[in-house]
Amino acid sequence: MLLVDWLYVGVFLVVGLAMAALPLAVVWALAPRLAQPQKRTTYESGVVPFGQAWAQFNVRYYLFSLVFVIFDVEVIYLYPWSIVFRQYGRYAFFVMLIFVGILLLGLIHAWRKGALEWT
Amino acid sequence: MGQLAAFIILSVVTLVSAVVVVASQNIVRSALSLIPTLLGIAGVYILLQAEYVAGIQVLIYAGAITVLILFVIMLTEHGTGARFRQVNEQVLPGTIAVAVLAALLMAVFFGTAWPRAAGTLPQYTATSIGTTFLTSAILVFIVTSFVLLVALMGAIVIARRER
Amino acid sequence: MPLPIEDLWAVSPEIWLAGLGLLLLVLDLFVPSGRKAIVGWAAAAGLTLGLVPILGLVGVTPRTVFFGTYVVDGFAIFFKIVAVASTVLVILSAMDVLRGQTQFEGEMYILLTFTALGLSLMAGSADLIMVVLSIEFVSLCSYVMAGYFKADRRGNEAGLKYFLFGAGASAVMIYGFSILYGLTGQTSLYAIASALSGAPRPAVVVALVMALAGIGFKVSMVPFHQWTPDVYEGAPTPVAAFLSVASKAAGFAVLLRLLAVAFASAPVDWITLIAGLSAVTMTVGNLLALPQRNIKRMLAYSSISHAGFLLMGVAAYAGEFAQGLLYYILAYAFTNLGAFFVAVTVGQRLGTDDIPAYAGLGERAPALAWLMALFMLSLTGIPPTAGFVGKFYIFGAAVQNGLIWLAAIGVVNSVIALYYYVGVIRAMFLMPPASAGPVGQPAALQLALGITGLGTLAAGLFPQPFVTLVSAASLLLRF
Repeated sequence: MLLVDWLYVGVFLVVGLAMAALPLAVVWALAPRLAQPQKRTTYESGVVPFGQAWAQFNVRYYLFSLVFVIFDVEVIYLYPWSIVFRQYGRYAFFVMLIFVGILLLGLIHAWRKGALEWT
Repeated sequence: MGQLAAFIILSVVTLVSAVVVVASQNIVRSALSLIPTLLGIAGVYILLQAEYVAGIQVLIYAGAITVLILFVIMLTEHGTGARFRQVNEQVLPGTIAVAVLAALLMAVFFGTAWPRAAGTLPQYTATSIGTTFLTSAILVFIVTSFVLLVALMGAIVIARRER
Repeated sequence: MPLPIEDLWAVSPEIWLAGLGLLLLVLDLFVPSGRKAIVGWAAAAGLTLGLVPILGLVGVTPRTVFFGTYVVDGFAIFFKIVAVASTVLVILSAMDVLRGQTQFEGEMYILLTFTALGLSLMAGSADLIMVVLSIEFVSLCSYVMAGYFKADRRGNEAGLKYFLFGAGASAVMIYGFSILYGLTGQTSLYAIASALSGAPRPAVVVALVMALAGIGFKVSMVPFHQWTPDVYEGAPTPVAAFLSVASKAAGFAVLLRLLAVAFASAPVDWITLIAGLSAVTMTVGNLLALPQRNIKRMLAYSSISHAGFLLMGVAAYAGEFAQGLLYYILAYAFTNLGAFFVAVTVGQRLGTDDIPAYAGLGERAPALAWLMALFMLSLTGIPPTAGFVGKFYIFGAAVQNGLIWLAAIGVVNSVIALYYYVGVIRAMFLMPPASAGPVGQPAALQLALGITGLGTLAAGLFPQPFVTLVSAASLLLRF
């Protein structure tokens, strides 16, 4: 892809940002302002909000996102391999089999150690 | 000319958000500022005609890793509400050292006659990366899978609660 | 198939270690919670058997394989042997420490096995990307192992400090490597060597200094040594032993290969630079070890000063005494592992790491005390220990290469070091014990201690077979 073609992507980006920023700018410029204390409370479907807004998360979120990162990196190795796979035949197949197999063992280890438990 | 303008814009975006990442007192703002930094780097990769690497950068870094960092922040006890003092007594010596180092590096980089080899640039497309992985970088490819395995194992050891 | 089959035979040790690691991973899933020591014994046995493919590579003509990214020569084989042997000994010593302390006991043995694989790869890397990858591989495992006991605050501090320092150092090193790539357009060390001879000097100097930052971190070279005392003190003692010997040795392998191959004909005088850094490292490590009361911190500073001695070997790596560096690594490996294993025993049985707590050990556990005395004397460099022969060879190499001033500084530092090494011996034999009763040692640890003690004595009393082994190993494949 020619470098100048990326200019179109750049234009897209700028227009997208503008489309997000424009309504906010319009509101800021035109809307009337009347500060009332009730406006600053959190919305909780009509009930008076109670408790903390930020609760401490459980570590299982971290474990899931961690396993996700590892396998996302595996995907970025799968993608270029799949493009050139055909010209190398069986050799390419076995190389990727080893790669995926090693990470499969990692997944089994993570599963058995309880990293994938949600409850 | 257009490339220079694009590079300047991307550099400004990257460097400003990098400064915000390091210097911000609000840790969530710091983590979210990482996104424009990483996207700026992805833009620089595109300028270098390495579109696949730019795609990886957006997918992994600005996608998975930023999410990971945000989860970790939310895991800590006072996490999102904590405000940190980001400076200590060594700001002045640090600034001087950084300025000297930057001046030195820039003098070296601008003063060196970087060799330009005749012939074509190496390709950074997905096809050539795939070919390289299956031929000259095959050992790197296999070792990378072990690095990922060990990272996964190690992180589970660190993160799982001791029963 | 683009990959020649003979290349696979050249990495047979790595294939063995990788297969062993994966096997242990599967084994760990089936072994019930209280009996994880089985994984440890399996790891130790498998690693000992792993010496067979490594020794099978001895005598092969030095060459690069895998398209110039990996190298097989006597030098790499030597460091692979050191890496695998020290991992076996550390696993033996760690079994008592881990039992009942953590639910992740099996993973520690698996991580140690994979670290041995990474160290093996470090010893044979001939390509910038492979160097970076193997260093990161070893570092990742080490960060996790340093902070393994999560309830221990010192351990958390150790893990975090090691990780932050290490990540920063690696980043600087990779930046230096990118400058090298920009100057030469190659990532293979052997191709860089021929391309650097005409390169502009300032850029090469910047690249060298930055690369030294990362590798200097791994080998505890001043000024990248700040992490060593805190990490050794906070990490579990077997892990500290492993870091002080195995990853330092492999770091020196990488350092020497980088300097002697890639920078061989570069327009920069790295010998003087390394010699200067060696002098500073020896002195700083020694002086800071003098006031230490904690045995692990003292051994950490002592390992910094020994890194200085090893740097002397790197600067003097030429000529007849070239094997000085390798002999010293062998001697240092036996001795330092042994000293740390004694610290493991005392830490386990007496629950303390303070040097004054070693008082009266001569009466309570005479074998242990005599072994510790042997290791302390060997670290100082007093005959007839391995440390003496190692220092003899290193100083000989320095003198032979015109670095007489460096050898003189080395001798002065050895004399200064005598104070704190003998301080431990004095506590053990001349001070009355705080409480009576013998200090027992677990079986696996006794085995490890026996092997290291034997090695220290043997390498000191009968150096000749070790010297021939090391001379064959000092053949570093040049371009």
